[in-house]
Amino acid sequence: MSDTSAYQVPDGLFYTKEHEWARVTAGTAKVGITDYAAKTLNDIVYLTLPSVGQEVKQLSSFGTVESIKAVSELYSPLSGTVVITNQELVNHPELINKSPYEAGWIIELRPSQLDAEKKTLLSPRQYQEFLRSLEDEHHN
Amino acid sequence: MKRTPLYEFHRTHGKMVEFAGYEMPVWYTSTVDEHMAVRNDAGIFDVSHMGRVNVSGPDAGRFIEGLFPTDIGKLPNGKSVYTLLLNKDAGIIDDLIVLKMDDARYLVVVNAASRTKDLKHMEQSGAGLDFKMDDITEATTMIAVQGPSAIQALQPLTPLPLAEMKRFTHAVSTVKGIGAVITRTGYTGEDGFELILYDASSGSLAVWEALTKRATPCALGARDSLRLEAGLPLYGSDMDEATNPLEADLGWVISKDKQSYVGWPKLSSFMQQGPTKVRRGIIMDERIPRRDFKVTDQAGAQIGVVTSGTFSPMLKRGIAMAYVKTVSSGPGEPVKVVVRDAPSDGKITKFPFYDDSLYGWKRKPHQ
Repeated sequence: MSDTSAYQVPDGLFYTKEHEWARVTAGTAKVGITDYAAKTLNDIVYLTLPSVGQEVKQLSSFGTVESIKAVSELYSPLSGTVVITNQELVNHPELINKSPYEAGWIIELRPSQLDAEKKTLLSPRQYQEFLRSLEDEHHN
Repeated sequence: MKRTPLYEFHRTHGKMVEFAGYEMPVWYTSTVDEHMAVRNDAGIFDVSHMGRVNVSGPDAGRFIEGLFPTDIGKLPNGKSVYTLLLNKDAGIIDDLIVLKMDDARYLVVVNAASRTKDLKHMEQSGAGLDFKMDDITEATTMIAVQGPSAIQALQPLTPLPLAEMKRFTHAVSTVKGIGAVITRTGYTGEDGFELILYDASSGSLAVWEALTKRATPCALGARDSLRLEAGLPLYGSDMDEATNPLEADLGWVISKDKQSYVGWPKLSSFMQQGPTKVRRGIIMDERIPRRDFKVTDQAGAQIGVVTSGTFSPMLKRGIAMAYVKTVSSGPGEPVKVVVRDAPSDGKITKFPFYDDSLYGWKRKPHQ
């Protein structure tokens, strides 16, 4: 269970140390939580989502995700305006467990400071290393 | 940190956490799946972390009688009794199961986190009496087999005719050849058994492995959501030494004619006054209540506090145990639970949260 290679970290995404990801495409960015976060929370049963049009700031909370046991804040990898939220999650929050990087995306936003903020995020390789450091800490 | 005899299985199959000084699994695959396996089929739990103490000797019966508000002495041999250990102020030191083997021998099963203080309290209360206490926790393994198919899961491993056992009774037998006490009790609301195996190594692991062929391994996460759905309190969260049995909605353990036990004088006056707050269930319309969230009336005045909360995998709603003012505790009473600044609708409900004609050990058998 503690083997970090057991967690998917797809290429082409930006990551945070709070275990969110951002997939940047032309003009917008989809945001979700990582496979590690989803597996650590275990069954996700409830979300609070921001409203469309809401401004979010990088690394500030834009909602919560709840498992059976606990509540976690969702931190945005990027600043911007929420353009759409994933309504499928309202009735099927378990999509985050099943498909954290595709069907389980949480919000899409229009980034306001993409170029500057991108540099502060982790690459897939850096995020993998970060996961390894967490597990090392856990075992010491 | 301590490990149970089944640790190797947990480590290789589960997500481990610290619980009451033990390394225990919090889930194997999914808390929801494990939870539903117990409601619909059968699940197994390692509950070896719970304390197990043999009490025996000429004065054992007298000692037990002086300790608990439940009249265990009058019960026939072979009964398993849920009861409470009280302090002088009638505060709850622990909730536990007492197995009456015979007049001179009892087996007491206590919460892991309370074991040390329970033993100390028991030793002090029994001063001057001729009995001994034997802590057999480390020498034994304890496994719970729970769910409507518990008999089918366990019967192939034991010669004891399980279907003939009544709920809250126990018997001495064997499981896969290992000496065992089998009690028809549990902490899930479902029918089932708890096995105390007189083995703390490979023999118990073999029993566990054999049970996995017919039942789903379940961990602490499911244990908590199951007991909450069933309305069973968790010591340390839903009650402690500042709580009396009436407040905890456990007045039913108090035997009417019994007066000579620790905590009785105070409990008697509590019974005359009646409790001002009481443990109740709250079922939410939408949000998930969590420990320490405030409970208010419709106008926003605080009437109580949540002591445990979760998402019910069966009802697909947030559920809570809370202490609320007795005047506001009627079933159906609308309340609000303040979820991170958002007052959210819910209502007071009786335990268990589910329909007990369809789920739980009282369910009617399928026709």
